[in-house]
Amino acid sequence: MNNTGRTGIVLVVLAAAFLALALKFAAPVGPSSAMSAQISLVETQFLDTATIRKSYAELIRTKADLSDFDCYACHEKGKPPVLRFDAHQIIVVPKEHEDVVMGHGSHNRNNNCFNCHDEQNLELLQTRDGRQVKLAESPALCGSCHGPTYRDWEAGAHGRTGGYWNRAAGPIKRQICVDCHNPHRPKIPPRKPAPGPHLLHPVADVPTEGFH
Amino acid sequence: MSNSTSSPAEGNPPSSDGLSRRSFLRSSAVVVSGLAALAASLSPLRHLNDFPSVEQFLQKYYKELTPEEMKKVLTRIEDEVERQYGLRPHVSDLKPKNGVEFVYALNLTRCIGCRKCVHACVGENNQSRTPEIQYIRVVRLPHGSLDLEKAEHNYSPEQVPEKGYFYMPVQCQQCKNPPCVKVCPVHATWQETDGITVVDYNWCIGCRYCEAACPYWARRFNFTSPAIPKERLNLNMAYLGNRPRRQGVMEKCHFCVQRTRAGRYPACLEVCPVGARKFGDILDPESEVSHIFRTKRVFIQLKEEMGTSPRFFYYFDV
Repeated sequence: MNNTGRTGIVLVVLAAAFLALALKFAAPVGPSSAMSAQISLVETQFLDTATIRKSYAELIRTKADLSDFDCYACHEKGKPPVLRFDAHQIIVVPKEHEDVVMGHGSHNRNNNCFNCHDEQNLELLQTRDGRQVKLAESPALCGSCHGPTYRDWEAGAHGRTGGYWNRAAGPIKRQICVDCHNPHRPKIPPRKPAPGPHLLHPVADVPTEGFH
Repeated sequence: MSNSTSSPAEGNPPSSDGLSRRSFLRSSAVVVSGLAALAASLSPLRHLNDFPSVEQFLQKYYKELTPEEMKKVLTRIEDEVERQYGLRPHVSDLKPKNGVEFVYALNLTRCIGCRKCVHACVGENNQSRTPEIQYIRVVRLPHGSLDLEKAEHNYSPEQVPEKGYFYMPVQCQQCKNPPCVKVCPVHATWQETDGITVVDYNWCIGCRYCEAACPYWARRFNFTSPAIPKERLNLNMAYLGNRPRRQGVMEKCHFCVQRTRAGRYPACLEVCPVGARKFGDILDPESEVSHIFRTKRVFIQLKEEMGTSPRFFYYFDV
């Protein structure tokens, strides 16, 4: 074959290659298949800034139903309720108060309602040295035992805050102990974690599930 | 390319100027396909919807912008966001306050590893959802160790906290001696007087040197155009903060400048269900962080030996 023929073949091959490239580029560019898997939006429960429970003070503020705190709808005034204990000296919670699970402090040390509640006036709390405390002002009672935590809380270093760090710009949002801690069982319950990072390219040997 | 040697009997007589029919067809096919290939190879440009406008391209360096020019830039960004998302944001350029130095303190005793901070941050700072960009990584470590070799950030148990582990959220440490700033070849990232290291997304060239320099893996790169669902777009934006980024720029935690410079707490702090996160002005003796520095027992600066001097402290309750 002479030179002319060879040049012709090369040109035809080049033209074919260009056409192939043209087809490739003309195909719509978009995310590659590995990335086109849409990651679903995180559930709004994980974006919620509300506390895990509502304190009595918060219920008053939001004008919620307070019938649960109307002690003398059932109890009789001036007659302290009698506490019952089982054979192991563990307090028996009556079925009217079955939502109360006693779990404040370890080894059942806190085994008596009247460690905190006032037996003379059930709508009040009492400290160990006999001071009466209103339900809505419970941190003073908590602080009578949990000194360092109370000190930190007063300084804003314990517990949740929100709003403004700069007091000149706006108010800080504070929470009280019982906004987060159930007084009968103060340990914060475990919860479901929000989804972890999604891998860009799923790789079999990266432990995403069941890595405990 | 001459066919002059072929015989006229083949029905392919040489033309007067020596160009045969065959060679003409061949050359024109090559030329046409070449042009088609050129056009097609440029066709991806059609999809470049965030091609910088002239004003964007000619915009001056952040620190050289006069207040009037800045105002124009902010309006332009608002227009751009409105065009893209159909919602008009409020874009501000909040300056650092004199006599304020931000510090973050995180209580490792309290953190339960729920990752709410991660997602609150994504929402607040308009981070891309697909592909996912997250500023905060929560790593799980076995009790009794701070060995990051044992850290795991893909943990996914039914419930947290798990027995025998503690959790450590890691994000930009806002170093006093930031290696990321040193390596930036175009000064697109710098440390401001309130301690926040910021990125100008219009100045960043996407070389990713800072990502490599950061010992905390705190910087993120936009490999594609970020995808933010319109209904989750945060319209309170800042120029150096959470305005939507373009493809090819770096981003990172900036202590929510759009919130903190307006006096508010960062989003990750407000969402933390256990109050493990504390933020404030370390120069104010009355602030929470000052109280923590005075009264708490242990502080860790992550990778202290790197000499980066982070403004992000980890501590334990006594």
